[in-house]
Amino acid sequence: MCAQKTKRNSVIFAALVLMAACTLLLALVGERSNLKNPSGSPLGSPRLVSVQEVPDYGEVCAPEPPSRNASMIAALQEKNLFASFQETAVHAASPETGDTAEVTRPPVRTIKDTYPIYSSIAVDPLRDEVVLQDTNLFSIKVFNRLDNTTPNAEPAQPKRVIQGPHTLNEYNNGLYIDPQTGNIHSVAMDTADSMIVFPGGANGDVAPIRKLNTPHRNFATAVNEEKGEIYITIQYPPKVMVYRKEANGDEKPLRVLEGEHTRLYDTHGIALDVKKNLMFVGTWGNASDYRVAGTGKFYPPSINVYRLDASGDTAPLRVIQGSKTRLDWAGGMSLDPDRGDLYVANDVGDSILVFRETDDGDVAPARIINGDKTGLNHPAGISLDLKNQEFWVSNMGNSSATCYSLKADGNATPVRTIRSAPLGRTSVKFGKPQAVAYDSKREQYLVPN
Amino acid sequence: MNTPQIAAFARLAKENTVPVRALEGQKSMISRTMHSLAYDSVHDEIVVNSPLAQAILMFRGGANGEEPPARFIQGPHTQIQGTDYDGNDKMTYDEVHGEIIIPVAGPKVLVFSRESNGDAAPIRVLAGPDTQIRGSRRGHPLVGVDPVNNLLIVGSTGGEGGGRDSDGESARGRGSLLIFDRTASGNTKPKAVIQGPNTAFGGVGQIQTYPPKGWIIAGALGGGIGAWSIHDSGDAPPRWKIPVRQITGVAPSGVALDPVHKELIIASGARNVLLTFSWPEIFE
Repeated sequence: MCAQKTKRNSVIFAALVLMAACTLLLALVGERSNLKNPSGSPLGSPRLVSVQEVPDYGEVCAPEPPSRNASMIAALQEKNLFASFQETAVHAASPETGDTAEVTRPPVRTIKDTYPIYSSIAVDPLRDEVVLQDTNLFSIKVFNRLDNTTPNAEPAQPKRVIQGPHTLNEYNNGLYIDPQTGNIHSVAMDTADSMIVFPGGANGDVAPIRKLNTPHRNFATAVNEEKGEIYITIQYPPKVMVYRKEANGDEKPLRVLEGEHTRLYDTHGIALDVKKNLMFVGTWGNASDYRVAGTGKFYPPSINVYRLDASGDTAPLRVIQGSKTRLDWAGGMSLDPDRGDLYVANDVGDSILVFRETDDGDVAPARIINGDKTGLNHPAGISLDLKNQEFWVSNMGNSSATCYSLKADGNATPVRTIRSAPLGRTSVKFGKPQAVAYDSKREQYLVPN
Repeated sequence: MNTPQIAAFARLAKENTVPVRALEGQKSMISRTMHSLAYDSVHDEIVVNSPLAQAILMFRGGANGEEPPARFIQGPHTQIQGTDYDGNDKMTYDEVHGEIIIPVAGPKVLVFSRESNGDAAPIRVLAGPDTQIRGSRRGHPLVGVDPVNNLLIVGSTGGEGGGRDSDGESARGRGSLLIFDRTASGNTKPKAVIQGPNTAFGGVGQIQTYPPKGWIIAGALGGGIGAWSIHDSGDAPPRWKIPVRQITGVAPSGVALDPVHKELIIASGARNVLLTFSWPEIFE
């Protein structure tokens, strides 16, 4: 039997306890009869609780119309008598009445990260600024290039923050700064399906000066300034879109690289060598043709090399792939054309991999920056500053950006760090947690990004 | 997303509490767009889609770091097919009968044994015009299962899919909850259809059930979570509703139940947040 007499007695007792508490409270507040609870109900008007019959739903235990009983019990269990005043009365609906019982108590717990989660980075050596894409709080934060948050210092404060509903910034990632204008380009990874552009110096809740509508699941961007073309990678269905750099609205791409022969499987970072006419694209290896059932495959991750103007279903010129590469969810990429070095933010590998741009096949990186002194923690974005011979990394795992010499190797200490959370704090690394499951054995929430 | 992960948080975790473990990395075979997952308490396993690779992955319950799945289902015989927008991003799990239930393009609902591995064929396929399964415009239907009362629940939003379904008034009456026998296959009519402007189903990507009370827990338009009875049909409103967005300003996208502590857990993909509500009424 679903409703038991002892439980009802407990409920009535709980109601009486609550009524007594209300009477005491009213005596204390005296003439302050205009005091309202958050839902607007006046205090001091406790009602007797009705006990209603349970409708007959056959073998299934039907909802027990709880009136305020259950909320009072919950309040008592939480040792907070006054919590019950935060709720409105509830009555389970019946098919006859068509009513719905609304339960309006606030959540008992909230899990969120109040610090930035930096997905991407761009350094502007002409204006001495470092721009960080925060995919947690939906902002773009701009710091001075020479800012350095020492271990004992409070988290760094940005000089400008582009944030708010007018910015259309929502789970964005890839950044690019126009060297001439300082315009900040930012591509949306998920819900926004767009690239947004802000003027250099933008601050606050400002609208972008351009919004290019793109396919779903963008990741990174790169620009060929000589030809005025902007490249955007699309994770799935995988492709590389090439637009006019000034493209806006629903403008169509100039060309698209996609198809079975491209070997673009879950496309991520991109870097260009305009002088050598090469395009480098990172993949994670998750493959399928959504139009055909049962075509799913897992491939090893890779960096595919194409001609800069490759389009259609074009095979790569070369593929860097294999166990020696140490590629592990590689994110952003950036190229030093003077030395022919390709820098890769190797996210789960907690490392920066530096390949020769002529590499092919299963090759080890020429240099690997990783270790406990590096400050690297899920490095997702990377940006080269050839003027000052440095490179910057955005770390998703600890709300920081770290800067190194272009000659760095091994367990290198950053020359500067911008830290936006307490020292040593690990990020929650939420990135659109769309679902949840409950692990009843361990009493844990399982949350996928 | 930038970095996919399956993070595990202690039940009592609060703001800025870090996960106790996280499954991630190349060897894990997980990818972005995981819009459903399940925990199998009988066999202590995690079941989740690999949305971009037309696969289902099964991990050890305590899987951590760069751990590969214990088994995965993938290949031509599986019939698994995503869409351009959603990949194959939805599933549910029947831990009583050890079955993985996954909606795919078509739309179809495929059922696999949990013991399947590799290029395995589904043990049942539910599809056809009589099923009334519609899915979303660019994505899949949702699925839930009540293994005690032997029911399969298929939700169709008719919206855009991919977490982009409108949950406003324009969507009212469009979504439907179809109730089938759990073992229904082929072109079978549903036992009951819950749909209408009062039903107002939609907006959340997961469907849960609480068999002892016969509840179907799913999205209610306007950013809420509703509880319908398995005995409902027609234009039935939810018996219970938590108007999550009205209370918190956050719209729910995923939902899970913790019957022991009588709690409802909400994931919000729109705002990077998890909320836990006490909801004893539906468990008592």
